[in-house]
Amino acid sequence: MSVVPVTTPAETDVEPPVSLWRDAWHRLRRNRLAVFGLMVVVILAFTAAFGPYLTPYDFLSQDLSARNLAPSMSHLFGTDDLGRDVFSRVVYGTRTAFLVAVVVTFIAVLIGVSLGAMAGFFGGLLDKIVMWLTDMTMSIPNLLLVVVINASLKSPISSWMEGRYLVTLNPIYRETVWVDFLLVFGSMALISWPPYARLVRAQVLSIRSRPYITAAQALGLTNRIILMRYVVPNALGPLIVAVSAGLGTAMVLESAFSFLGVGVNPPTPSWGNMISDGLRVWQHYPHLLAAPAAVLGLASVAFSFLGDGLNDALNPRGAK
Amino acid sequence: MGAQPLMRIENLVKHFHVRLGAFGERAATVHALDDVNFEILEGETLSLVGESGCGKSTTGFTLLNLHKATGGKVIYQGRNIVELDEKAMRPYRRQLQIVFQDPYSTLNPRMTIGEAVGEPILFHKLATKAELPQKISELLADVGLPPRFASRYPHELSGGQRQRVAIARALACQPKFIVCDEAISALDVSVQAQIINLLLDLQQKYGLTYLFIAHDLAVVRHISDRVGVMYLGRLAELATREELFEHPLHPYTKALLSAVPEADPAHERSRKRQILQGDVPSPLSPPSGCRFHTRCPIAMEVCGKVVPEWREARPGHMVACHAVTEGLPG
Amino acid sequence: MMANDIRPEASRERLLDVKGLTIEIETRRGPATIVDGIDLHVDKGETLGIVGESGCGKSLTMLSLMRLLPNKIRVTQGEANFAGRDLQKMSNSDLRKVRGGEVGFIFQDPMTSLNPVMRIGQQLAEPLIYHRGMSKAEARNRAGELLKLVGIPGAVERLDAYPHELSGGMRQRVMIAIGLACNPQLLIADEPTTALDVTIQAQIVDLVKELRDKLGMSVVWITHDLALIAGLVDRINVLYAGTVVEDAPVDALFANPRHPYTQGLLASIPKLSDQRTTRLSSIGGTPPEPGRRPKGCPFAPRCPLVEQICHERVPSLEGTGKAGAHRVACFVAQRKLEAA
Repeated sequence: MSVVPVTTPAETDVEPPVSLWRDAWHRLRRNRLAVFGLMVVVILAFTAAFGPYLTPYDFLSQDLSARNLAPSMSHLFGTDDLGRDVFSRVVYGTRTAFLVAVVVTFIAVLIGVSLGAMAGFFGGLLDKIVMWLTDMTMSIPNLLLVVVINASLKSPISSWMEGRYLVTLNPIYRETVWVDFLLVFGSMALISWPPYARLVRAQVLSIRSRPYITAAQALGLTNRIILMRYVVPNALGPLIVAVSAGLGTAMVLESAFSFLGVGVNPPTPSWGNMISDGLRVWQHYPHLLAAPAAVLGLASVAFSFLGDGLNDALNPRGAK
Repeated sequence: MGAQPLMRIENLVKHFHVRLGAFGERAATVHALDDVNFEILEGETLSLVGESGCGKSTTGFTLLNLHKATGGKVIYQGRNIVELDEKAMRPYRRQLQIVFQDPYSTLNPRMTIGEAVGEPILFHKLATKAELPQKISELLADVGLPPRFASRYPHELSGGQRQRVAIARALACQPKFIVCDEAISALDVSVQAQIINLLLDLQQKYGLTYLFIAHDLAVVRHISDRVGVMYLGRLAELATREELFEHPLHPYTKALLSAVPEADPAHERSRKRQILQGDVPSPLSPPSGCRFHTRCPIAMEVCGKVVPEWREARPGHMVACHAVTEGLPG
Repeated sequence: MMANDIRPEASRERLLDVKGLTIEIETRRGPATIVDGIDLHVDKGETLGIVGESGCGKSLTMLSLMRLLPNKIRVTQGEANFAGRDLQKMSNSDLRKVRGGEVGFIFQDPMTSLNPVMRIGQQLAEPLIYHRGMSKAEARNRAGELLKLVGIPGAVERLDAYPHELSGGMRQRVMIAIGLACNPQLLIADEPTTALDVTIQAQIVDLVKELRDKLGMSVVWITHDLALIAGLVDRINVLYAGTVVEDAPVDALFANPRHPYTQGLLASIPKLSDQRTTRLSSIGGTPPEPGRRPKGCPFAPRCPLVEQICHERVPSLEGTGKAGAHRVACFVAQRKLEAA
């Protein structure tokens, strides 16, 4: 076979390849607010992971001789009405907030992405059912649903566990903290998934009609490969943005529920129940309210900045 | 012409069902393709031309079974491939490839060029993992790209370079037949010429058969062996390039040719174009009889009533027009 | 009325005169030049074709005159005189009177350039009410006339149609009618037929030609298709990477292209006489991206005639014909012409 001469395009660029992700990272780094958000999030995550081992006091240890102390060198954020160190409690509250936010968002994303992707990819009746479910869930007032779940399930489960403990003496049934968490996780995830489902469905629908999907079909590739290598990676950008914003929302939500008494129960520290406690005495001991409220505010703002930054970084054309 | 038919298209029909009205309350049918018959010969370049909505792209998609045909047959290697399901179709997919119009959107933005070109090779088991880098380099060289492009992402390439990648990807399957669906329409003039040359080179090197779908008649005139003219979902005329451009028979072909600008100022200033009145009718309710009769300068009474027969007017020159048929002896 | 004003000697009067126009885009790596000190002019009654490939700055140049540049792109240097007034120094409110009043625009995509929720009659009447101070009834009358002028059948009934009810060709006719609404002195057509089919394209070219002769206005037609405007324009400017590389009367340009880029462009158009197996002559490589312009002549990396000097200095646009009417920016072509 003879060698056919082929026109060679001018080889002008010699820059190393830039992947879309690296490009996005580059853009993110130039956005000051996003960098601030990212730093705060990283610090908070570190605090949540290792903070409880580094705090000077145990979050539960009470010192009734040192109640309601103002912030000082020995107690950075002061102490509360039981003489517990507020700084240590805020640090442990970070863990609660992160645990709830991460687990809830994970479950919500799992439900939302699977339902949304299936609805978008297969369409038809399945799509109709999923969208109907989404609309239903979104039409129920969030707080109401959570209050109802907690009120109707918490005490029956607790009393059932008490009964089991008395019968079996199995220590598993004595600890009721995780029931709290389970209910919080479950009820919050239940109200948080619809936005993810809608987002992913819209993404999949738009990606499905892209020419590169047709091109992949023309190559004979199977639906599974197309879904995994073409649809999912391209839907990932907007999802990451939504997750980042969703984590912040989940933290605020957890605090709101704890504040209302339907979230994590004392003595487990949560920013929400600390705010709730602090609010009762804020005229006398403002630091009890200020410390958790400020950290909650900071976390919420940080996630929101990071989400916005990611949005701009991953959609270069959408940015100004 | 001694070439064997590679593919035979018989009475191909494609209708799309759509819903109209604010609430989708009215069902309607788009007659994208009706009763299309032609053969594609081995090693040739057959072009389909016509205005937007004439069904030329739908033909390409339907005969590759990317759109399910509503009726008719596409015979390839003795089998009617349009009735095959996706699984049975897979072995044929490898041999029948397509290159799309917009090189910006036919590549997955998350995959490097190397991955994009390598994927079909691995999928169709045309090389082992160890041979893959070598294979990718060869394919890139075939389309005139240096091997280091393998680690690039699509957004780093120019339009012409991306179209080269899309071609390399089609070639990776070692196909017999490639549909070029407006493959050069989105490119700049100087780059267009590069890609046309590349397609011609590759055709010689690998003995490829092309179905070239385009609206630019100057390009079609340059690269085709035979040309088919479509109007509103039907073939109006099909002949060799010389026949069609020098002795067009169908009044639509004549109008189309007269609209093509020539790079000659004096000729352009003095020429009298045969300008078609009005617009292409809606494919939702195509005209009865000959679909062109509403705009045809020589329409007769019969044209609105009877669909003209698709017949051979001269050797190898197919046309569907009552006026031509009447003028024929016998 | 305007057509009568133009006497032969007046036809050489400059209507639009752009000098040293430079446009930059902000990129991640800092500002990058897209249009590099362009000079161009349009005489009264003249039709100028601006030809170039995507990204050469042909559309931006015209948009910049009307301060219609997108974000992150701005004019950094140069002046533009229109009918004796400096467009760059004009106040925004004065410029608004020029836009759509003395200068009409036709854009590429008639679907996205028309407001989809407004009846076309209203869209036509708007500039008339704004620029001409017509009453609603007068404007509607005139709108009907304009639709008739651009050859829309059943013009008066179509005034109440929405853009989506018209075909692509009809929408482009409406766009032309809007461009002509206030009897502009200059009509700028930015690739108005690119989105249209060949037969409709021919209709539109013929329509603009006819209207130009009837109304006696100047036209700037921006396109990437040399053949399309061959029979329409008087003079052509060929743009490459933000500079005019050749400026010539249309016949001279086709008969005797002097810049290697123009030669390459013309040669890459397929001809009827070609054999099927002949390779098209093509220009290797791709145009430079903004911010990666070579130091010397921007075409040097792709040029078949390139010499050492081309990499070092930027050639200026020099007149070479008898009256200097045929100008080219190329060291090699200029030297050849001097020798001849």
